[in-house]
Amino acid sequence: MGDHFSSPRVFGDPAADIADVFVFPRPERPGRVVLVLTVFPSATVTSLFSDALTYRFRIRPVTVAGPGAAPGYAVGEDEYTFDFTFEGDGVGGLAQAGRCVTPGGQEVVFRVGDEMAADSLGLRIYAGARLDPFFIALTGVRETRQLGRLSFKPTDTNANEGQNVLAIVVEADLAAMLGAGAGPLLAVIGETVTSGRHPVRLEHTARAELKNFIMSDKQHDRVNQDIEIRDLFNSEDAFGLAPYYLDAYRARLNANLAFYDGLDGKTDWPTGDRGEHPLTGFLLADFLVIDISKPFAEGTYMEIDRAVLAGRPHSTSGGRPLNDDIVDLLFTLLVGGVDGPHISDGVEQATQPATSGFPYLASPNPDPPPLTPPFALPPVSAQPLES
Amino acid sequence: MIPSTIDGREPFTTSGTIAVANLHAQIDGLAARLLRAVPGPAEPGPAEPRPAEPRPAATGPAVTAVAGADWGAFIDLLTLRGQVLGRVADYGWAAAIAEQLVRGGAGGDGTALLARARSRATFHRFADALGDLDAAAARGGADHSVLEAERAVILQATGSYAEAERLHRNAVMDRPGFATLGALAVFQAERGEAAEAEGLFDQARQCYQGISPFPVASLDYRRGLMWHREGNLAAAAVWLGASRDRVPAYAPAVGLLAEIDAAAGANYAAIRRLLPLVSISDDPAYAAGLARALRAVGHHREAGQWHSIAAARYDELVLRHPQAYADHAADFRRLEPSLAERQSGERR
Repeated sequence: MGDHFSSPRVFGDPAADIADVFVFPRPERPGRVVLVLTVFPSATVTSLFSDALTYRFRIRPVTVAGPGAAPGYAVGEDEYTFDFTFEGDGVGGLAQAGRCVTPGGQEVVFRVGDEMAADSLGLRIYAGARLDPFFIALTGVRETRQLGRLSFKPTDTNANEGQNVLAIVVEADLAAMLGAGAGPLLAVIGETVTSGRHPVRLEHTARAELKNFIMSDKQHDRVNQDIEIRDLFNSEDAFGLAPYYLDAYRARLNANLAFYDGLDGKTDWPTGDRGEHPLTGFLLADFLVIDISKPFAEGTYMEIDRAVLAGRPHSTSGGRPLNDDIVDLLFTLLVGGVDGPHISDGVEQATQPATSGFPYLASPNPDPPPLTPPFALPPVSAQPLES
Repeated sequence: MIPSTIDGREPFTTSGTIAVANLHAQIDGLAARLLRAVPGPAEPGPAEPRPAEPRPAATGPAVTAVAGADWGAFIDLLTLRGQVLGRVADYGWAAAIAEQLVRGGAGGDGTALLARARSRATFHRFADALGDLDAAAARGGADHSVLEAERAVILQATGSYAEAERLHRNAVMDRPGFATLGALAVFQAERGEAAEAEGLFDQARQCYQGISPFPVASLDYRRGLMWHREGNLAAAAVWLGASRDRVPAYAPAVGLLAEIDAAAGANYAAIRRLLPLVSISDDPAYAAGLARALRAVGHHREAGQWHSIAAARYDELVLRHPQAYADHAADFRRLEPSLAERQSGERR
């Protein structure tokens, strides 16, 4: 489920639970880039952003690692962030107020649920409930993971149909905003960070399903079979993992990636002498890479990653467009190799695909299940209660 | 000793009003997804009979086992809302789901059994709950530390203090943090060891790194409850107020603050606290408290209405969950006889 429910620690506060991160060039307008962070899986139209969090996009320039290095990226030191915070508790039906701080430190104040065009900064901003663009044949995925063989139907039902999320959408001319030294390859991460005096990173997210598909299953891991490793990983700086738990992450990924590779009964990713999977180090550097010089296209998710793994030039903008079938693309990569045969989970698109116009995500499902009192309310006192 | 007061190192958490709204939304959203994917038990209202014939939660062993984990999360959310808003109906819904999951075969990996153990413990079916924990441990799939934490709480509730303390202290040694320190603090508070409990409450608070206000509100409530039992009503009011300030709808704290008000003769203040509470909670304790406070200020007709509501709800809960409510109902009958019963007693 994308990154939905990927952190047991934030299950009690769903507004901190990142569902997905998307980044893509604005259709028809090369140069402008759209960043999307969705939180609160299974939200309703009345769900609210937390007022104790900073919702953050982190952006760094990257280059493809040089010849002779393991496939991967060299991450630049310069970092640019878009920080979003929210105020108001929705009492009386009042909308929450949002505040965006740009990489240059400018502030844009907006109202949740309304589009905001900050023309002087070249920004468009939206935050509020939208239809969740993620789609998946969850039953097929679960059966595949449990039975150890590909168990998808030719056509299946989107388990995420009709579900809402809270979305933060920002569209900017990143090339102009970040300066000439940034790009064309940029790495993007979405984060939720506590806003108190001692900020704590609750989640970071980039590539879909890294935590839920690849990191969560414990049974194949011969080193740490009883550790819920996702909370630890979520608290990490994805641009520079701390050394403390690296071996635990590697052991988990080596085991689970080998499991996925074997789902078709053959080995496409031969492991090293000590069981190292070729994708482990690559995926642990968890960020989405976009080429902001390329035009928008669909089906580009992980295209730059695959090109880097294959040692060839990339041809698209990469990133993650909203309508990309990430489940198919991920299974195809993990099971069959960089250019393996296409694997489909049987669900090819969201019931209502994202649109080509701002804020891109479809309107929220307006008919969530009603909140009904579970008991009959007694009469309320009509008498004055003056002491 | 002088109890601690709230210092400047307050945990920074989401507004309690936002968190309650989002908890409702989370439950509604998850219910829609789960009920569509795997038809499960509908929400039972108090007037409805308990589900007589539990349905299987899913078809096929693989789907059933994974669906059990999702339902387990849903059960946790319902239980949380039950605790925060004092909604016994949410506990009942959680219990019905847990029962059906286990009977439907979703207990294969232990997570459904853990969920049922929690719901059974909520309704004071402690022996049954321990049996479920043993079965869950034997089957695997549920986190060992979670099972041990649940076991410690049940042993504590049944008076097996030595074993409960051993489990709590082992947990603190192995995984010092908000949850384990808080559990040990509550244990010591219930045993009347207020001095050690105070230190542990402080340590637990300082460890909190989440943003959900509910765990902190719950911990502060338990601290206030401790001081209430110790007879230090000023300290109790500080921590109950902290709990209420963090989550204004937190029913246990609001209810106990109303009790303190009423005990001090501030019955109008108690009524003002309880009126919003009885509109969100179906726990008869609050309706009974409101009846008492209204009667104390001479609003006998209205007090009688709330007394009747509390009495009917106690009757219903005693039938459904006798282990949890028989004592409370008996206390209610003893302390709050109805007008007819009082008149009868006066005639005798």
